Amino acid sequence: MCAEHKKNEEAIFNEAIGIKSDAERAAFIKSACGDDTTLLARIEALLKVHFADKSFLKSPPAGIAGTLDAGPLTEAPGMSIGRYKLLQLIGEGGFGVVYMAEQQEPIRRKVALKIIKLGMDTKQVIARFEAERQALAMMDHPNIARVLDAGATDTGRPYFVMELVKGIPITEYCDKNNLDTRRRLELFIDVCKAVQHAHQKGIIHRDIKPSNVMIMLHDGKPVPKIIDFGIAKATQQRLTEKTLFTEYRQFIGTPEYMSPEQAEMSGLDIDTRSDIYSLGVLLYELLTSTTPFESGKLRIVAYDEIRRIIREDEPPRPSTRLSTLGNALTDIARHRDA
Amino acid sequence: MSDVTLILAAIERGDVRAVDELFPLVYQELRQLAAQRMRKESPGQTLQATALVHEAYLRLVGSQEQKWSGRGHFFAAAAEAMRRILIDNARRKKSLKRGGSRKRIDLDEAVATGDDKTSLDDLVALDEALEKLSKKDKAKADLVKLRYFAGLTNEQAAEVLGISPSTVDRYWAYARSWLRLEMAKGNQTARG
Repeated sequence: MCAEHKKNEEAIFNEAIGIKSDAERAAFIKSACGDDTTLLARIEALLKVHFADKSFLKSPPAGIAGTLDAGPLTEAPGMSIGRYKLLQLIGEGGFGVVYMAEQQEPIRRKVALKIIKLGMDTKQVIARFEAERQALAMMDHPNIARVLDAGATDTGRPYFVMELVKGIPITEYCDKNNLDTRRRLELFIDVCKAVQHAHQKGIIHRDIKPSNVMIMLHDGKPVPKIIDFGIAKATQQRLTEKTLFTEYRQFIGTPEYMSPEQAEMSGLDIDTRSDIYSLGVLLYELLTSTTPFESGKLRIVAYDEIRRIIREDEPPRPSTRLSTLGNALTDIARHRDA
Repeated sequence: MSDVTLILAAIERGDVRAVDELFPLVYQELRQLAAQRMRKESPGQTLQATALVHEAYLRLVGSQEQKWSGRGHFFAAAAEAMRRILIDNARRKKSLKRGGSRKRIDLDEAVATGDDKTSLDDLVALDEALEKLSKKDKAKADLVKLRYFAGLTNEQAAEVLGISPSTVDRYWAYARSWLRLEMAKGNQTARG
């Protein structure tokens, strides 16, 4: 007879099912549970399922025919999703796809519809978005593209409806137009002001990078527009929720722009300073055409190494980085009108 | 080599981001397979989830010699995909039931209940219970998904999860009972 049984439901259950005789088993669980009648009832219920309900989960689920339809598996231009009619594919990436779409009601206008790829728990994504929706609606800034709506497609993927921004990423715009350092900084300051506006409303972007900072032309002048506010938070799932196996981790976000605390992935929530870090990376790139930790270096190493690099390594200063670039320097200088 | 085998190879090398790329491919394949089979099968035939998973495996990975851990990732993705497919559709059918024409849905349900009489409600309840179990004890929830949705045997699941077959037996026994009780709890609150 064992000295003490921890009043652990699972342990008692495991030992109980090993006992062949019904009488012995009953005696065992009574003594194991002591005077904890709730635990005893629970153990009895668990054992009842084990011995009496043999069919539960026995055979794999059948009858898929009744639950599936043969509808289209992906969206395409011409189709409607909710009250939005898809017009044209305008972007594709690791996250999914972006369509230009037309909203019919209550007003007619063109919007951007971002459909997130499969693999996410749609219900949770939408729920997280809804939680922030109120705060997002309170944001009103000329340099922030609004997120208007969210929903799920028939194929079960989450989608977001956003203000349509016709433009190109800030880094591309600056290079294409050979903007000098001063003008680049002016644009960057506008971006910072917009991010500050969001921070004052309590909203963190979480995924600031050139493809999320677009430049559009308004009356011939370049206007920065930050897109995807509220989406990163909704779609970025915490490690423990997303993993298929406990020992593998899902790398969320874009490594080059991730702040050390984001790379840490401790599960604690991040704050506005993470956005500041990413803005710093953006500034670095505007000045040197490279990121502090080069893409090539970050993408060939394993996950843990990426985290370590972001957290511990010291990137070269922009001036130092420029001096190492050799021939590429000519292009970089040209793009900066220098 | 197919896309999937390339991804599995990448996972073998330790590129864990590849794990995420696997899922959409597997999901797509399973849905396509199911849709194709439905068109071919006579009405009243039921499709087995695990049969689909194994067929998807053959089509995506082929008969190429795969290190087991690579196959493990495939089946884990397939289990998750299968679960997602079944649950999403069960939920949709349920919400249609609330609004739509009753007659049609009853017929569908009749087709849906195969040998183990898994009704739409049961599937959804199971999924919710699995979510809860996942938060409390992820390894056990993963095990249930692998065995129930991907049809892995005790030994295969053990290898995928990196535990011994006897531990699998123990986990399975407890998880089964736990889930059943959790589902019963859900029923009670629904009726009350």
